Amino acid sequence: MPAPKHSPATFNIPLGPVHVALEEPVYFDLQVDGEIIRGATLHSGHVHRGMENLAQHRNLIMNQTLTERVCSLCSNSHAFTYAMVVENALGIGVPERAHYLRTLTEEIKRVASHLFNLAIQAHLCGFESLFMHTMELREIFQDVKESLYGNRMNLAFNCIGGTKFDLDDECFGFLDESINKFMPAYKELMDIFETDPLICARIKGVGLLPKEDAVRLGVVGPVARGSGLAIDVRKETPYAAYGKVDFDVVVRDGCDLYARTCVRLHEVIESIRIIRQVMRDIPQGEVRTHMNKIFPAQAIARSEAPRGEVIYYIRTNHTEIPERLKWRVPSYMNWEALGVMLRDAKIADAALITNTIDPCVSCTER
Amino acid sequence: MFDVIKGNTALINTLTSLSTKDGVKLGSDNYGNAQHWFELSSPSHLTAAAAALKDMSARLSLISGYSRASEPDAEEAPFAACYNFVLDSVIYSVTAIVTKKEPQVPTITPWFANADWHEREMMELVGIQVAHQPNPNRLFLDASIDQGMLSRLVPLSVMMNGACTKDLWEHILSSKEGSH
Repeated sequence: MPAPKHSPATFNIPLGPVHVALEEPVYFDLQVDGEIIRGATLHSGHVHRGMENLAQHRNLIMNQTLTERVCSLCSNSHAFTYAMVVENALGIGVPERAHYLRTLTEEIKRVASHLFNLAIQAHLCGFESLFMHTMELREIFQDVKESLYGNRMNLAFNCIGGTKFDLDDECFGFLDESINKFMPAYKELMDIFETDPLICARIKGVGLLPKEDAVRLGVVGPVARGSGLAIDVRKETPYAAYGKVDFDVVVRDGCDLYARTCVRLHEVIESIRIIRQVMRDIPQGEVRTHMNKIFPAQAIARSEAPRGEVIYYIRTNHTEIPERLKWRVPSYMNWEALGVMLRDAKIADAALITNTIDPCVSCTER
Repeated sequence: MFDVIKGNTALINTLTSLSTKDGVKLGSDNYGNAQHWFELSSPSHLTAAAAALKDMSARLSLISGYSRASEPDAEEAPFAACYNFVLDSVIYSVTAIVTKKEPQVPTITPWFANADWHEREMMELVGIQVAHQPNPNRLFLDASIDQGMLSRLVPLSVMMNGACTKDLWEHILSSKEGSH
């Protein structure tokens, strides 16, 4: 994303790789004119772990554990999509109850992930009490994860063929109670994020990504939906139990930070709708089937992670070790959009704009 | 009863005409979502495939380069690249086989700007050359590291074993002795 030749940039400012406003190591070379950014060049590779190579040295079962460690906030999306790609390749049917359990887990993770992003946004706006309020509310869902799955981040719930264990009525009762505690406070929080003058002054009309640029760069997730693109894998190609629950794809056409904030805020409400339907409609039965045979095949699987579309590609042979396992995370598609969003923005907004794509460097570099 | 093939008929016909005789598989995943696979008869057909997909407003989702080392014709065709596109809830996967005769794939960035990162990563990790790539700089790895590192990376655990056993040094010693 170098600055265009006609740019009046006068000097360069390095941002990162270690910076108080960035959660993970990434380095931006900002070309600036006074306090206005004219161009941004991204340098990555600080946390490249060679995970795709590791995946080609582990068997299909071991890769279930490896892929959950690609990222922390969307760890479940990786383990889930990996399980789906193996199931697609080897034709493994998943029990209906497991589809519902997987859907429930994805949405619990989405709520926690979106709240984390919103909290960081409040922090970057200098609204520390809102940051703490948001993190406190998120804690309800962290407790849910800990109580239902035994972990607050890496849930280790998915396995090839279904889920590792079942959730009983006591778990659903606790989840229902937690949602009832969460919702009134969350509605207040939404109101602050959508109407507070301090927040609005920082995020309205800032970090613009016009719809045509969103299409050109192939962005995904809330970044795409904040620029008017109704892209959501859950609706496009329904998987797990998403074809059986009623929910709306949240789209805003403001193309700015405010639009993306509203998308995330309202997606939490949609996630709660899905969770409630799953608890109401989940059928009884087994939660996993076993893998019987491994044979040469290739397959792909997609899911809608909190940051957008995750896609996995696998090639198997006659052995238990995959010949190729490749995945692409949503941040990978959204980084390039920062070049558009940062152009002609103020230096003071650089961290806030970066946060709006909900970046995950570990995911991107693998 | 016939299964209905989901997808854009004109696009399927175009991609089929660019593919090998046995390289077309029209199907769906475990959830009934359509996924179609096309193996191009030449890597050079990738530009025509990309143009046709762009015409229909498809979105590039993923490019996966991989080694064909386990295939019987691996010596003649050592690598392949699989391109996944999404259009109207259907996934079109287009595979280009890289051969000794045609050792490169053409860039598809003129049609899909977001192919840039995928192509650069494929070059540095798998070692597949992309012709006319407009920005052939390293994406993640340092320029001093050889291309195609995906097949040569030594896991940390193996290196750690080397630090506490004699295996690594014996291996180096034997390879040195072998070279004399």
